[in-house]
Amino acid sequence: MNTVIAAGQPSYAPMRPAVANVLLEAADTDPRLVVLGADGHALAAGVREHHPERYVDVGIAEANLVGVASGLARAGRRVVVCAMAPFLVRRAAEQIRNDVCNAGLNVTFVGVGGGLGYGTLGPTHHCPEDLGFFAALPYTRVYCPADAIDACWAVRSALAGPGPAYVRLGAREDRIVHDPDKPFDAAGGLLLRPPGDALAVATGIGVGIALDAADRLADTGRQLGVLALTAVKPFPRERLVALAAGVGTVLTVEEHLETGGIGASAARALAGGWTGRFATHAVGDDYPPLGDRGELLAHYRITADHVISSLSDTDRTRG
Amino acid sequence: MVESLTSPPGTRSEQSLADIAAGARRRLVDLSATRPVHLGASLSVIDILVAVYDALGLDPARPRRPERGDVILSKGHAVWGLYSVLAGFGVEGLDDPRAGHPLDTTPGVAAGTGALGHGLSIGAGLALAARLDGGDRKAVVVLGDGELDEGSVWEAAMFAAHHALANLVAVVDRNGLQQEGPTESVLALEPLAAKWRAFGWQVIEADGHDGAALRRTLEEAFASEDLPTVVIAHTVKGRGVPFMEHDPAFHHAHLTSHQHAAALTALAAGPEQEPA
Repeated sequence: MNTVIAAGQPSYAPMRPAVANVLLEAADTDPRLVVLGADGHALAAGVREHHPERYVDVGIAEANLVGVASGLARAGRRVVVCAMAPFLVRRAAEQIRNDVCNAGLNVTFVGVGGGLGYGTLGPTHHCPEDLGFFAALPYTRVYCPADAIDACWAVRSALAGPGPAYVRLGAREDRIVHDPDKPFDAAGGLLLRPPGDALAVATGIGVGIALDAADRLADTGRQLGVLALTAVKPFPRERLVALAAGVGTVLTVEEHLETGGIGASAARALAGGWTGRFATHAVGDDYPPLGDRGELLAHYRITADHVISSLSDTDRTRG
Repeated sequence: MVESLTSPPGTRSEQSLADIAAGARRRLVDLSATRPVHLGASLSVIDILVAVYDALGLDPARPRRPERGDVILSKGHAVWGLYSVLAGFGVEGLDDPRAGHPLDTTPGVAAGTGALGHGLSIGAGLALAARLDGGDRKAVVVLGDGELDEGSVWEAAMFAAHHALANLVAVVDRNGLQQEGPTESVLALEPLAAKWRAFGWQVIEADGHDGAALRRTLEEAFASEDLPTVVIAHTVKGRGVPFMEHDPAFHHAHLTSHQHAAALTALAAGPEQEPA
């Protein structure tokens, strides 16, 4: 995709058109690839036009959507399942687990609007548990891209690997934070800022938030490292342990429940072998109040301001 | 018997298929004396499974993908009925009998099952794949009638009719009982044939214990050119052992030695009860 990033000016782009192009490339290359949708074909725009026989709209029926994907994959097809994240995860949980992931089938789930992305559409449309749900399924890779560039990397990686994968996409426009010319590292994440005495591990919209915090802290002479994770499972445990060895504070920033997210994975990686201050910025253990996405993120302290103040708090407690 | 195992699809003799079904019932009853199994639901589906595997051309040496199509036992709790039938066809390497439902690795089935309401969607995916491949493979999904309570079955039914998956066949083991009692008391299914017709399916009703009728019905279903077909196979839960028939107590049972002996006696006395 072509994205012009004006110096100093944030640029925003939706993930879906970019991913639609990736899916078309994949369908051009692999005649076995089939794309399924659930009354939403934005992600299949190209496949639908150029390979209409390989796009199937299953309707608003997520359980059947995933069962059909299972049958296609069992017959040797590579399948991409596109749906809104909350309904995919919650309505088809059993089909995802039993019929696709347990069998290790080549199915890539693309969930639009995971986390708090649907904002004011409310609790029925929030899905702050999607990454943890998929991460709890053995053999399943889980991606949470930060922007449209990252989303293309994630979908290519998901399709390339054997077995099932989940990719969470944003529902609206996401700020471009990645440089399309940088080499992508699905396994280890991208170290976008080298750490000084603190490191932020971030995924999804958390990456831009961590970068904002790092830039503002840099003005005060303090260096916050930013490790951006496109893939949250497998989690780059060894890389985090190596990076953390030189820092006093590790923070995680994610639009996901603290349970089952990168905060939990980072804590598990560091427990018992690393000493320092650890803080998480994640969705709390309650149901989100009314609010747009920005308001909800602020409610849960998932903002650059809160990351900065969290560092100050850990400084104070360091005593 | 050996000769019949290598026969082309649908050409095994009536007698050899009846022998496979009778042997499967004995094997199942023996197994039920060693561990609790879903006995009633397995006895009701045995004749259906014999007909389905024969019609699809099961080769016991390669049970994974029968010649003409794939099988999914969506009512996975009847797994011991499946094992017993496959063993009767000469399939080896069946799963550990401790496996209470078919696994993805179980011979003879295209997908593991156990949670109800999954099989028809998977079958629809297999049928769609066969069409994309330009082939003529069938997908046969054996459903329980109680299983039809699950909404996902009807999602799949709508999908299959909308996409005219004529190579998809559902066989409903209509024994009229689910775990807690008659289906019509728990959650009424009738008018069942009308429901499937309204969903756009070809409906054929058959005696689910009449092997010859079942195989004719399956051939009629396989010949469909535009509609998916459901065979409503009228069966008796516990079929073949009179004291188990129609009794929900034998839905899941571990037989005492007395019950085991009585069941074997009933099966031995029962050939005249089996439809010719």
